[in-house]
Amino acid sequence: MSQLNVVGLSLERPDAYDKVTGGKGYPVNVKLPGMLHAKMLRSPYAHARIVSIDASRAERLPGVKAVLLPGDVPQIKFCPVFFVPVQAPSMVLDFDVMNGERVRYVGQPVAAVAAITADIAEAAIDLIDVEYEELPAVFTPEEAMADGAPRLHDDAPNNIAKTPFFEYGDLDKGFAEADFIFEGTYETQRVHTCYLEPRVCVVDMDRQDNVTIHVTTQHLFGTREKLAFALGIPESKVKVVKSPYIGGGFGGKLELTAMEPVAALLSKKCGRPVRLEQTRQEEFITTTRNPIKVYLKTGVKQDGTFTARYAKSILDCGAHATHGSEVIMVHGAFGLFFNYHAPHQKWEGYTVYTNNMIGGGYRGYGAPQGSFAVESQIDEICTKLGLDPIEMRLKNARKQGEPHPFNPAFTLATYGLADCLREGAAKINWDAARHRDKGSGPKRRGIGLAVHPVWVSGCMGFPDIYEHSGAIVKINRDGTADLATASMDIGSGQIATLTQIAAEALGLPPGAVRMSSAGDTDNLPFDAPTHASRVTYSSGNAVKEAALAARKRLLEVAASMLEVSPVDLEVSNGKVSVRGTPVRGLSVAEVAQRAESPFVQMTAQGPQPTVMEEKGTIIGLSSLAPKSNPTPCAAQFVEVEVDTETGEVSVLHAVYAHDIGRTINPKAAEGQVEGGFQQGMGYALMEHIQFDPETGSCLTTDFLDYKMPTAVEMPRKMDSIFIETDEPTGPFGAKSLGECCVITPAPAIANAIHDAIGVRFTQLPITPEKILRGLGKI
Amino acid sequence: MKKMLTLEVNGNPHELAVDLDATLLRVLRDQVGLNGPKKGCDSGGCGCCTVHVDGKAVYSCVCYAHSFDGAKVTTAEGLSSGEELHPIQSAFIDAGAVQCGYCTCGMMMAAKQLLDECPKPDEEQIRHGISGNLCRCTGYAKIVDAIKLASERS
Repeated sequence: MSQLNVVGLSLERPDAYDKVTGGKGYPVNVKLPGMLHAKMLRSPYAHARIVSIDASRAERLPGVKAVLLPGDVPQIKFCPVFFVPVQAPSMVLDFDVMNGERVRYVGQPVAAVAAITADIAEAAIDLIDVEYEELPAVFTPEEAMADGAPRLHDDAPNNIAKTPFFEYGDLDKGFAEADFIFEGTYETQRVHTCYLEPRVCVVDMDRQDNVTIHVTTQHLFGTREKLAFALGIPESKVKVVKSPYIGGGFGGKLELTAMEPVAALLSKKCGRPVRLEQTRQEEFITTTRNPIKVYLKTGVKQDGTFTARYAKSILDCGAHATHGSEVIMVHGAFGLFFNYHAPHQKWEGYTVYTNNMIGGGYRGYGAPQGSFAVESQIDEICTKLGLDPIEMRLKNARKQGEPHPFNPAFTLATYGLADCLREGAAKINWDAARHRDKGSGPKRRGIGLAVHPVWVSGCMGFPDIYEHSGAIVKINRDGTADLATASMDIGSGQIATLTQIAAEALGLPPGAVRMSSAGDTDNLPFDAPTHASRVTYSSGNAVKEAALAARKRLLEVAASMLEVSPVDLEVSNGKVSVRGTPVRGLSVAEVAQRAESPFVQMTAQGPQPTVMEEKGTIIGLSSLAPKSNPTPCAAQFVEVEVDTETGEVSVLHAVYAHDIGRTINPKAAEGQVEGGFQQGMGYALMEHIQFDPETGSCLTTDFLDYKMPTAVEMPRKMDSIFIETDEPTGPFGAKSLGECCVITPAPAIANAIHDAIGVRFTQLPITPEKILRGLGKI
Repeated sequence: MKKMLTLEVNGNPHELAVDLDATLLRVLRDQVGLNGPKKGCDSGGCGCCTVHVDGKAVYSCVCYAHSFDGAKVTTAEGLSSGEELHPIQSAFIDAGAVQCGYCTCGMMMAAKQLLDECPKPDEEQIRHGISGNLCRCTGYAKIVDAIKLASERS
């Protein structure tokens, strides 16, 4: 690796200044002339037939401009998930924007209104009379799978939307070879991503079906494809405008919902732009992490070597499959099946319809639910057999240089799990802390660890998932460069990291590359979503390639100016110079000015032609798929204190050690990890979307009911260690970061609680009530 | 039903005809034209809308604008004077406390209230001082660092 000048620096985020002085660039701020406001009417029933809809009273309300009923909406079934083709064979095509026949969950949109103010739209939806015929509803997957249960979709007997499985070896043989067999059932709950900017869109659709949309999305091109399909129009008719910022996503803004097509159709009816902003209450029933119940059985030798692993996972996808068809696959593959070696394995998954809200994407995408089972059970095995939890994991883990577990075309070229465990253990003083006295008073301390051994840097190699990126890099006459990509910065920091990658590749100084704040699906190359820990690796590779193409052209022009060969030139810190003769050179600005100067220039001797081959903007383009899918990995250690009188759990110290390849911006990376811990800790201890078990209506409708960690609950000490490896297929050696840090906290905390009080919890969240129950105090 | 209201917002006088049920947040965003106060929940649960009214931090989404006739309102836009950032703003940038940025403006206003009352807070005072403001990106560590830094610099 040659010396890096920009990559590896904790540069200030270019977007930070605007964000601390007001923050202009969010979709929620978009206002267009003549804009109307829309609201959706939602079903109060979990399962009902729609008998009739009468909107005449709403239409008469002054200020109402249009009412949208199911009959106005194209009746098309599709998969709304952004990162797969709209009719991907591996997905379940059961989603519709609005239908006039049947509602399957509380909150399903059944009509909408556009009015001159949001208040009038809100008042108008209350004037729409819908007659329902209530149907029997089912709220748990087990009941839904039973014979005779109400069937939600005609083509899904026993409400099973999908049943994937993986297996190899001979499971019976593997269990017969085991010295010990461990079994357990591990349950996780429904949680929300809790991005703070609610979903909002402003849509302008004309009579010729040209659509322009500003929207809170993690994927411009997914929004284009799915919205066009839902409206039944060619996708080239839809222009999705890139917002400079999105107020958080975390996987929660990865699919089309009813909001976008409803606003579009209302706009077409009214001939005016329509804005639709969801309330926080609506947010809690729009997207979620699917709850999964995992039955896990593991055979081990006395020394901790796995002989066989079997798992069965039941995912509650709610009323429509949407992400549930893919979450179950990622859960099985990366939560359970590929994470460790075992000679004999089988996993089977069930994605099951219920009359609960539909699921969605959320950081980790099925892996947190699997990891909670696997990493908890490994801890149980270590306790029972007296094994060291670090050695137990390393004994069964994959090794650097092995074929990639899910695609033998790739190898694990970099894999630093052992270093992560060693350095993390040293940081938290693992050996001493494990054998420390737990205390005899009401407060007991414990320490725990969990790892996430195999994860992704994008989706290269997965069936039916998009994975390519593009970028445009343009060198300006002042020696700076502009970078344009369709990659969305949802807070994850790619405005910083991608511009650093571009500057490094171009040979420009820190801060000399600007992320363009303009662009849309008409003029930007395709990029897959900001998801799957992919942007630094996949988009980063595309940005590097585009920058190198611009650099090549820069050197050609400079070579002509200096009358040398381009191969004799180098560029560093904004200067082009002849290799070995640093005094002979030009600034990048001088080269760009020459390239964009008029061909014929006026001199004292009259008009003089210059060199035609030097002319033209210095620009580089790329559109490519990455070469591999390198795995990041992480080890996490936590120390907790359990109050045995109140049941309260405090996390005192959290240590992460990650192998993410080369770290592009260490401070941004730390921020990702610390925020990831917050989400994982909330999942472990407090967060839970709750429903009325009789009616299916959501009870946690705001942040007063839905508890997530504040600054007070967070640990006072958080340490992030980055084991630097040099991934050969990554941009300047980088892999990915976004999700391992969210996957490990729940099992690490559960293991630490067990260490503190000797009670094993297998249902999340581990609330004070569950702690006291576990201690036999209530 | 509207009522005339005089507000001084970030040093500028405004005469506004406001709906009686309009929240201060709505008036600041839709009538005064500011982006700093943000709607995260509209129910006093997240703190994205935090502004100062006569020097005290309030959730602008849960109070009616008309009740503040004659008040001085400060939002994140009003922290900086001209091109010079307020020490809290520059500390948020320098400490890496800004990610998606949606909580940032409200969080800084909570921090300002804390530092106005307690210029040299310890870590527990900082954490409790911002406990009415949610952030989902950062885990708060770098926000706490930023407030410490702002305190040290001023």
